[in-house]
Amino acid sequence: MPNKEELFELVVESSIDFAIFTVDPNGLTTSWNVGAERLFGYAEDQMLGRSADVIFTAEDRAAAAPEEERYKASMHGRAADDRWHQRKDGSRFWASGLMMPLRGEDSGFVKITRDRTEQHQAGERLRENEQRFRLLATSIPQLVFLTRPDGSRTWPSPQWIAFTGLGFDASLGVGWLEAIHPDDREATQNAWQEARSKGEYYIEHRVRREADGEYLWHQTRAKPLAGESAASSDWVGTMTDIEDLRGLQSRQHVLMAELQHRTRNLLSVVQSIANQTIRSSSSLEVFGTQFGSRLRALSRVQGLLARVEDQVIDLHALVTAELAAHSEGGAESSRIKVAGPSVALPPTAAQALGLALHELATNAVKYGALAQPTGQLEVTWELKANKPTSEIALQWRESGVSMPQAGSPKRKGYGSELIERALPYQLSAKTQLEFGPDGVRCAILVPVSAESVHG
Amino acid sequence: MAELLSEGLKGRCLLVVEDEYLVAADLTASLESLGVEVIGPAASVGEALSLIENSGSRLDGAVLDINLRSERVYPVADVLTARGIPFVFTTGYDAVAIPIAYTCAPRCEKPIDKTQLVRWLSNTGSRK
Repeated sequence: MPNKEELFELVVESSIDFAIFTVDPNGLTTSWNVGAERLFGYAEDQMLGRSADVIFTAEDRAAAAPEEERYKASMHGRAADDRWHQRKDGSRFWASGLMMPLRGEDSGFVKITRDRTEQHQAGERLRENEQRFRLLATSIPQLVFLTRPDGSRTWPSPQWIAFTGLGFDASLGVGWLEAIHPDDREATQNAWQEARSKGEYYIEHRVRREADGEYLWHQTRAKPLAGESAASSDWVGTMTDIEDLRGLQSRQHVLMAELQHRTRNLLSVVQSIANQTIRSSSSLEVFGTQFGSRLRALSRVQGLLARVEDQVIDLHALVTAELAAHSEGGAESSRIKVAGPSVALPPTAAQALGLALHELATNAVKYGALAQPTGQLEVTWELKANKPTSEIALQWRESGVSMPQAGSPKRKGYGSELIERALPYQLSAKTQLEFGPDGVRCAILVPVSAESVHG
Repeated sequence: MAELLSEGLKGRCLLVVEDEYLVAADLTASLESLGVEVIGPAASVGEALSLIENSGSRLDGAVLDINLRSERVYPVADVLTARGIPFVFTTGYDAVAIPIAYTCAPRCEKPIDKTQLVRWLSNTGSRK
């Protein structure tokens, strides 16, 4: 059995991972083991009798850290030493050590220290990561939380607390369920069982907003923290407000149904126009020309509708588009006069009026004001503000036209039917179609709701 | 159109409710060409109800467009059902948009397939 002194020397000399050295009360080195040689890069003979303060960084030396350490050690019997130290070659490492006074008066100190750079840096990284997580978790608009894999929460973000009004402690465990809509709570809890096997939590549920007591739809997702097993680790989750999204989705469904309805109705109108054009056509060629022309008129109204956002068409735009489709260049403009105030037409009225105007314009081009050099056309309207409904009074007046024989044509055409029957039927309009001595005159009186007047 | 089917409609008295004039006029003309006496067409629930009121016992069927200008045709369907008069819906909407109470009536999607419409009207018309 070796004596104590021998044992001590054996331990010190064999501890190559620990720097163990002693200094006198002034900090001059009195012993320096192999571990110290390895760690600091100074050989024993370089250090003996020399101040051990060289292992401190210049900043710490200037701040009298070595003196403070010795003072602490002599006062308290020990001084912990966790800080950056410096090797002989100037490189630095994180040392974790302890200084203790040697027994006996003015005997100096022993210091044991080792390199903990890796652990220190890992700890630093962890702290940085945690800080980054907190910063992210507390600054994004989503409600963030940490949870155990069974849904019991370990940390609610400040946003959650602000949104739900549930305090930090009240939100822990299953306390957070208090803010979930009662009808959604069971599904919310059940989803955690599925989450453990899938490694991902997902649900859409309503979360109560403290400010007004409203329940807003949220999409909640959670995943195990990276690199850990789903069943044991902590999970991190977010709750995203999808109230607007769900609102838009249901609005989209309504719009799709409406679009389908309108498309089918439009096809019905096309079908009817085709059937009626067939009845009045003497040949396929005549049918082709007339049907194509009517389809284009319908298409012009649809085109106008597609360009306006609030689904109303201005009467002026409707009249202008119809006449532009029939006039052949700028020369026509001196023969056509269009005048009237701004009036908004709902889609159905625009379609019926558009088709009627189309028939009037077609006839004017074929036989009337736009077919003869002396012909003039005036399309004017005014708004008669009556109670309870206002009326648009539109006048189509052709002049300077030499009419074929006297009186009206023998057989009433499609245009007459649209004006004399379709407009009264569809728009409750009062209409009058006359074949005057110098051209066609048509008066259309359409009742409109008060909000149709604008500008 | 099959002769047998169109024969089945001759002499029938049918109400047409449809707010789009062109569709109403076309449907009326088609039915009249098959020997049907058309009541209407009516563009609104109010007009349709007064036509039913005035038609006495002649009326024995109806073609109802579900979506009228600013209203649904269902009140007309209710009155017809109460009187035991069969009817066929026409609609541009999907079946899902129709209240469950009215889903048992035959439904013609627009644009109307007239052969199908006539077949349904013939089948439902054996009341008299």
